[in-house]
Amino acid sequence: MGSEDTMRMSVDIGGTFTDLVVEDGTGLSLYKAPTVPSDPVQGILDVLGTAATARDVPLAELLGKVGAFVHATTRGLNAVLTGNAARTAFLTTAGHPDVLLLREGGRQDAFDFTVPFPEPYVPRALTFEVTERITSTGEVLTALDLDALERTCDQLVAADVEAIAVCLLWSTVNPEHELAVGEVLDRRLPGVPHTLSHALNPSLREYRRASSAAIDASLKPLMSDYFSALTERLRDAGLRGRILMVTSAGGVIDAADAVARPILTINSGPSMAPVAGRAYALADTGSDDVIVADAGGTTYDVTLVRRGEIPSTRSAWVGDVGTGHMTGLPSIDVKSVGSGGGSIAWVDEGGLLHVGPQSAGSVPGPACYGRGGRSATVTDAALVLGYLDADGFSSGAMTLDAEAAVVAVKTSVADVLGIDVIEAADAILQLTTEQMVRAIEEITVGQGIDPAKAVLIGGGGAAGLNAHAVAERLGCRTLVVPAVGAALAAAGALMSDLTAIYSATAPTITSSFAIERVDAALAELVEQGREFARKAGVAPEEATIALFAEARYPQQIWELEVPLRVTAFAGPDDVADLAEDFHRTHLEILGITDPASPVEIVSWGARVTVRLEEANHQVGALPRGSAEITRRRAFVPGRGITDVPVVPLAAMEPGRPVRGPLLVEAPFTTVVVAGDAQCRIGESGSLVIETETDRPEKED
Amino acid sequence: MSEQPRSSAAESAQLAVLSHRFEAIVTRMQNTLARSGRSGVLNTARDFSCCILTADGDVLMTGQSPPIHVMGGPDLQARSMLEFYPEVHAGEAFLHNSPYHGNTHAADHSILIPVVDADGKHRFTVLAKAHQADCGNSIPTTYMASARDVYEEGALIFPVVKVQDQYRDCEDILRMCEMRIRVPEQWRGDYLAILGSARIGERALLQLADEVGWDALDVFSGKWLDYSEIRMASAIRKLPAGRAVTTTCHDPFPGVPEGIPIQVALEVDPVAGTIDVDLRDNIDCVPAGLNLSEATSRTAALIGIFNSIDHTVPHNQGSFRRVQVHLRENCVVGIARHPASTSTATTNLANRLGNAVQRAMAEIGPGIGMAEVGSGMSPSEAVVSGIDRREGSTPFVNQIFTGTNGGAGSPHSDGWLTMSDLGSGGTLLLDSVEIDELKQPILIHRRGIAVDTEGAGELRGAPGIDVEYGPVGGTLEAIYANDGSINAMAGAREGLPGAPSIQAKRTTDGTVEPVDICGPVRILDGERLLARTSGGGGYGRPTRRDPAAVVHDVREGWISRDRAAAVYGVVLDDALQIDVAATERRRTSLDNEELVKA
Repeated sequence: MGSEDTMRMSVDIGGTFTDLVVEDGTGLSLYKAPTVPSDPVQGILDVLGTAATARDVPLAELLGKVGAFVHATTRGLNAVLTGNAARTAFLTTAGHPDVLLLREGGRQDAFDFTVPFPEPYVPRALTFEVTERITSTGEVLTALDLDALERTCDQLVAADVEAIAVCLLWSTVNPEHELAVGEVLDRRLPGVPHTLSHALNPSLREYRRASSAAIDASLKPLMSDYFSALTERLRDAGLRGRILMVTSAGGVIDAADAVARPILTINSGPSMAPVAGRAYALADTGSDDVIVADAGGTTYDVTLVRRGEIPSTRSAWVGDVGTGHMTGLPSIDVKSVGSGGGSIAWVDEGGLLHVGPQSAGSVPGPACYGRGGRSATVTDAALVLGYLDADGFSSGAMTLDAEAAVVAVKTSVADVLGIDVIEAADAILQLTTEQMVRAIEEITVGQGIDPAKAVLIGGGGAAGLNAHAVAERLGCRTLVVPAVGAALAAAGALMSDLTAIYSATAPTITSSFAIERVDAALAELVEQGREFARKAGVAPEEATIALFAEARYPQQIWELEVPLRVTAFAGPDDVADLAEDFHRTHLEILGITDPASPVEIVSWGARVTVRLEEANHQVGALPRGSAEITRRRAFVPGRGITDVPVVPLAAMEPGRPVRGPLLVEAPFTTVVVAGDAQCRIGESGSLVIETETDRPEKED
Repeated sequence: MSEQPRSSAAESAQLAVLSHRFEAIVTRMQNTLARSGRSGVLNTARDFSCCILTADGDVLMTGQSPPIHVMGGPDLQARSMLEFYPEVHAGEAFLHNSPYHGNTHAADHSILIPVVDADGKHRFTVLAKAHQADCGNSIPTTYMASARDVYEEGALIFPVVKVQDQYRDCEDILRMCEMRIRVPEQWRGDYLAILGSARIGERALLQLADEVGWDALDVFSGKWLDYSEIRMASAIRKLPAGRAVTTTCHDPFPGVPEGIPIQVALEVDPVAGTIDVDLRDNIDCVPAGLNLSEATSRTAALIGIFNSIDHTVPHNQGSFRRVQVHLRENCVVGIARHPASTSTATTNLANRLGNAVQRAMAEIGPGIGMAEVGSGMSPSEAVVSGIDRREGSTPFVNQIFTGTNGGAGSPHSDGWLTMSDLGSGGTLLLDSVEIDELKQPILIHRRGIAVDTEGAGELRGAPGIDVEYGPVGGTLEAIYANDGSINAMAGAREGLPGAPSIQAKRTTDGTVEPVDICGPVRILDGERLLARTSGGGGYGRPTRRDPAAVVHDVREGWISRDRAAAVYGVVLDDALQIDVAATERRRTSLDNEELVKA
């Protein structure tokens, strides 16, 4: 492994396209093929075929050189969203049948009564109460009623359940009842997979733990089938290397581990973008505070890198916040908004312009697609402004109907507002920019990052339209559009490490610190990390095990993650260090601190990283295609429609920056540089844009 | 309709873009407050709000928060600030919790910060408000229904008191609070969070003005309020004309042995595009903590109206211009004057009032209005106190949120299960059993929906929730203020009422006995406090409910098979399949019974 003719590949299955990024001795190359919704593995084989043809080698030969094949899939996510996961039963402590129904309360819009109360992840009809009770100290208050459990098993058999989730109160403090239930299920329902909450997600708060267990169990049959089919067909096609899966936490794991805990891969889609963004920001600008925006056709995903670390959250939802289902497990913190090229622009009865939330999707799509769409979309507005090439859209994949775009923008926006069509199109893009900025501000504020000091990475096929405008609005000095930006996630998957996160519930407070209990929990976490390394086939010393505390001020309910300086607390000084680190983090993220207050630690965690030895962490991509500079009529604020140069990325040379306004054609996207910013080619082949550093002139 | 004047291209784009900017600022203020708050009532119940007002005190932009906080009060507060401090300066901050000067009730501490430009001109006011875990009342609760007046209530009142000057704390005020508020370090933490949130709003507005100029922001403010008024007028024009009078009655409480009857007279004028609500024909203030402040009387009425129309109409002074709420001084649902106590002004009577308004809207015509949202501060949301003996011996006092009242049926959906009450709009979070058991020495034995307690209807109300909890190794004291155990929550448009709430105790020998409607109740080791929250009222006649929805409710155990037949007229066989013929017969006979009754 690691020899020069060994390749690595990564595949990301999106809603429209399946992206393939190939890393060989020379750098990264990007390929795309349409996704096949009915048979996603076929989409993978198609894009592999595209690459083999482009590289002029037989597929089997190409695959034979692949040392590692990294895969991200939305298969599990879609199953949960569409309710197509296994018929799952939920076993809960007697007296608490509605853990999954009640969730954690709350309602997103106090005045919107059109949204019905959401159904529980497992119906009440398949929820069974287990007579038992353990208290917060781990004491058994009510013994497990095994006879009643046998009768419950009769019901489970009769109900034809395909998977079972078990979540009992305080199983994280004393797992004996969950383990006993697991043994009975093994005996009575062999072949029906189950998930025990304490084993999957040993964290406080019964809803989150129950939801993790229920989602995980429900995905086991499906994901197990999917992985076997994937493995078999890739092996048949000639792949001999290792197959790895992308996790929600921004790492990769062996496919076998993903089968055992399928929930770990559920949010794998957006989790790789920050990994790639971090690499490009570092390679092209040397910065480690990064905002990564991935603009697709229907959604705009924002993730962050703070001082080189990718922040995660434990409150990630599948589906909408509050009405979906919480995964309860650490996940890359991502903010998604329904803003993309397909978002529809409209004017309400009070005369206010809106963009979205409705989307024209890909069918009928924007008016300019000529597939029957009549609504004005962001893509139509961009075409009206001359930012898109009607004859060579998406690297020539389709042609656009410019007249249809003008008609749509005119009738649904310009005429209603009484302004001309160019002004209307500009207003649509401005508003879209504002929505993107808002998504970014929400997450940067939440994570304590100042956008003005960060680098913005513009990724995704629709990145180019607004990325520069977004950077200017945020005050980011540098925008990087990676050459493989249109497949940021797939590129990131090649740059990631094997990772796992373990956690332990050992609540304590700095004012009366339970040093022995905590040290025992930390020792156990370290051992779990070493075991992970051994299973991954490397010596435990080679693994990086980063310990952290999830802490808060007393009575707060949201914890902040604070890295530990030690692997065991030797005495009061170490505890004081932890408190100090917490106060600083609180100040950084929430703007205030209370140094006189003690600090509560709710749980402890270990983030284990094993660097893949075959990964050489290449980021460079070779420019391909035409290097001919052309001109196009396009809109420049303050000047109107004017002649603007169109510069292919391949035409740009290191050390020879060019100034805007101009359009830069990168693979699969066009970057609009409307102002007079300076553009250059970065170390990795990315387009690097330095925005105008002076703010607009002030009025007073 | 297009009443709006044709505007310049720049203004059209600007209105949309700046409305996003203002919304984002409020969101940012709220996120800061939510995440840095210390008390359970702030961070779990999310009982806080933030808003931006114009310099002369018009509510300009509000965010997602409990509706009772932000609609009809912040304007009064901002104007009272200008009354006491006609000249405001950068760096000042004012603490305001006076229900006699525009605040909701004494437990809601507001910080007002004037946003002042470089020339010293007052441009905007930002307001952040949060319910406190304690506000210095004479007993450990912030909802003191039994208080005969503000003196017995005992809360510290701050009628616009300067707490920061030149961005520096006025420490003497803070020291006073720390001497009179229980768990002072928790209050101090929440105070910092509120102040921090308001300062973040101030900074963001200054930055925005730096970018686009104050004049552009002034133009925006005017246009945004006008836009909102146009949207409101347009929403009202879609309603039928009509007048409705509804009545309701708060349960008998200490100080009000007969309960409190309430009457609402409401008139919709679609031609003028206005709604008129008259609350003047109600009794005078009562010697109890139940009186509404001016802010909560207006807001409760506005909630009832905004719950009944297109939810996308912005909530600000522009849309409020289209609603006239008539109030009377010294009226129990009007303008309480010092020293009448308004300790529970955000919950009990406010919920009754808002419910009566939305039910009046329902009477105006089909497809509008709502039934009554479950109400009452159940023992499931009690302030619990005692001594924690698990590690040492430390006193504890905390409000728990273990079970919510059911939401009301509406023309669009069944009631929201975790609605809590009308004033909160369902925004509050529910406690985790494990977190509650960790925080205080209690054990929650049971929590789940109470079968057959929903207000039946074409769109049904949500059921109540049963909660049963008790102390671990000691005695527990619980204070609450439970309305709805006598007068249940009414349905609308022939929908049925939800089941009444229950407060009771399970003694050590297992017998269940009733307990006081407000507490304090002492629960001994081995005993359990039983709470059943109110079911929400149903909307529309139950026999019109989609039979498939009834089957779903039976399969999922929300209602019994018997109730499906008796109330909804849907007859199911043993396999829970619909017996179509029997269902048709049953529904016809139920409808005939209704006719006879009518």
